[in-house]
Amino acid sequence: MTPIDRRRFLGSGAAAAGLASLGLPLRSALAQSGEIVIGAAPPITGVFAFAGAGLHAGLGDWVEWKNGQGGIAGRKLRYVAEDSSYKVDQSVAIFKKIVAQYKPPLFYGDSTGWAKAIAPELSQLGSVLATGPSFASDLADPAKAPYYFMPGPTYSGQIEVLLEYVSRSAAGAAKPAVAFVYSDTEFGRDPIASGKAKAAKLGIPVVLEVVTKPGAVDVSAEVIKLRRAKPDFVIFHGYVLAPIPEFMRQMRDAGMNARGMGTIYTMDKTTIDQMGAAGAGFLGVMPYRYSFDTEKTPTMALIREVGSRKPNNPWQTTFYTQGWLVGMIFEQVLGRTLGAKKELTGPNMKAALESIGKWDTGGIFGVPIALKTHSIPVGRVYLVKGSTIVPNSDWITIG
Amino acid sequence: MRIGDFHASYRHDEALFDTRAQRVWLGLLLAALAAFPFVGGSYLTYLACLLGIHLIAAAGLNVMTGYTGLISLGHAAFMGVGCYAVAVAERAGIPFFLALPLAGAASAAIGLVVGIPSLRIKGLYFAVATLAAQFVLGFVFREWESVTGGVRGANVPAASLFGFELAGDRRVYFLIAPLAVLMLLGARNLFRTRVGRAFIAIRDRDISAEVLGISLFRYKLAAFAIGSFYAGVAGGLWGYFFRVATPELFGLPLSVFYLAAIIVGGLGSILGTILGATFMTLIPEFLRALVGWAEAFGLEQAGVYLAPLRQVVFGLLIVGFLVFEPHGLAEMWRRTRRFFHLWPFRT
Repeated sequence: MTPIDRRRFLGSGAAAAGLASLGLPLRSALAQSGEIVIGAAPPITGVFAFAGAGLHAGLGDWVEWKNGQGGIAGRKLRYVAEDSSYKVDQSVAIFKKIVAQYKPPLFYGDSTGWAKAIAPELSQLGSVLATGPSFASDLADPAKAPYYFMPGPTYSGQIEVLLEYVSRSAAGAAKPAVAFVYSDTEFGRDPIASGKAKAAKLGIPVVLEVVTKPGAVDVSAEVIKLRRAKPDFVIFHGYVLAPIPEFMRQMRDAGMNARGMGTIYTMDKTTIDQMGAAGAGFLGVMPYRYSFDTEKTPTMALIREVGSRKPNNPWQTTFYTQGWLVGMIFEQVLGRTLGAKKELTGPNMKAALESIGKWDTGGIFGVPIALKTHSIPVGRVYLVKGSTIVPNSDWITIG
Repeated sequence: MRIGDFHASYRHDEALFDTRAQRVWLGLLLAALAAFPFVGGSYLTYLACLLGIHLIAAAGLNVMTGYTGLISLGHAAFMGVGCYAVAVAERAGIPFFLALPLAGAASAAIGLVVGIPSLRIKGLYFAVATLAAQFVLGFVFREWESVTGGVRGANVPAASLFGFELAGDRRVYFLIAPLAVLMLLGARNLFRTRVGRAFIAIRDRDISAEVLGISLFRYKLAAFAIGSFYAGVAGGLWGYFFRVATPELFGLPLSVFYLAAIIVGGLGSILGTILGATFMTLIPEFLRALVGWAEAFGLEQAGVYLAPLRQVVFGLLIVGFLVFEPHGLAEMWRRTRRFFHLWPFRT
């Protein structure tokens, strides 16, 4: 080891102190400028990175574009984000850091764990309205988590959309049978109980439930069970990709005609493409319009225009669309609160959020939406057809 | 220049902090810890709380692995037991000052059961047994819905004392920090007793220890119970801090985190525990701050491009420490300290 020289030691300390002090003038300048800070802890790395980079880019680009339009109520926006690595302790740390430094009224987080850990803090602070990419059903509860909302339907809502589709697809009096295949995780189990209740209400027989680990696992025994149960639709939830392709492949090999169905984080095109031939005919719920949708809409055209200026085309994913949508909801909340000449406090922003009704997103959703329940109970069923994904239902509003 | 310590009495010889300088520094440290949340702000107080929890848990693992030689890959699960125990205790109206020892006791009881195979197996074989405990307990957390809330988890109410809620970072800090200091002092003291020395003897050569009259079964189980107790208390504090207990929080990655912390810090050393846990907790934050500075200096999109690199740098730092200083950060600290003690002479 190189011996430590006292002068060098003190010099390094001084340099570190100087570097650390750089943040201070930045903060005070920000406080005076009247900028509205949007904090974020997107999972740019870690297991959720496949979506996190797009979410980050979407929200960041929206802020940049909005500032180009003059900001909101004459105030510029500032997007302050740090990678959470999809770890609860780190995302909570980022939240605390950004809230302490910049006092953002709005925050975009990263996971169900983060949202649950931060919910009591949000209530205690009463000054931050937060959202994130988790659609956990527990979180869409204005009573328990008053300052949290989600930019889409809950996982339970997504399953409801699929079951509505199944119910409507019945040719005669008898409803098609479904099987649930889900991962042994919080994510996987989230909508199952409510899904079974909804199926019972719609008269849809649930012929089998299969629980697996997420990821690449041997599914041959489960496929044999599915073959015996003879479902018409197999709803997969709690996975991103694996083991869905393996299920689909083995179901085909076993001569089954059952249609596979997925939820939001399976249905991005980047994931569907990875399914290869196994993905042919796959159905799934997606609350947003795809960037390649043939129906021309103003917001999707804007996303394409703004996003195309960036490298790697992140705008093509639904994650980017979700990030952009979050920005649009923030705009509604800020605009309604400031427009009513109210301060950006938690209760005021919550009231503004809940006042959003019959809002036209310019095409991200095909129908006007409301955020009274702190979620957006709308979705559409899409079909994987060749190398693309096409709409296979109308926009379905549930609840 | 210091050239040694002169002990004039047995009492002085036995003192935990045997020099005046040490006692002064300790006093200053305690004063700084007491003042910290008032000057550190919310973010730093949060990190301090997190560090306090990691310190207690890592100290427990070091008792098992560093001092007794029982490699455990189930430490996070023992923490989970503590966290759920606190959630259940709070539901039953038990106050935090009883709930936390209960959490430790529940975890210690489970640790005793998991530690039983240690009589017959050791080393990597025993590590696999503890890995099994990690998965079995994880399964229990997910499936025992009436107690744990299943995969959705359980909410933990804020700790409260005579109606005063310890909610928020600053208040919880005054629960976590004193406990961390006490438990680290307890661990440090443990290895000046017969029990602690028996642990070290077992680690160094178990057959010789048995020949010397040390009951391997009893002391190995004791080590496991003590280590698990620490994990249980840390888990309980985790519950009071994050106010939620879900199975995914106490998975294998957290167990590996603690193992890495004590290896990087220095096995069989309380100082190593402190340095290792601090390193593992703060370095990711520091690296993230570096990325933030890069963006502040005009490197647009630095967050996107440098964020994955951060993980690589973190991994390389750990490997680097292990390669260049296998005895961990504690040894580097000792060497640095020795240098300043002997300055201007070279060591």
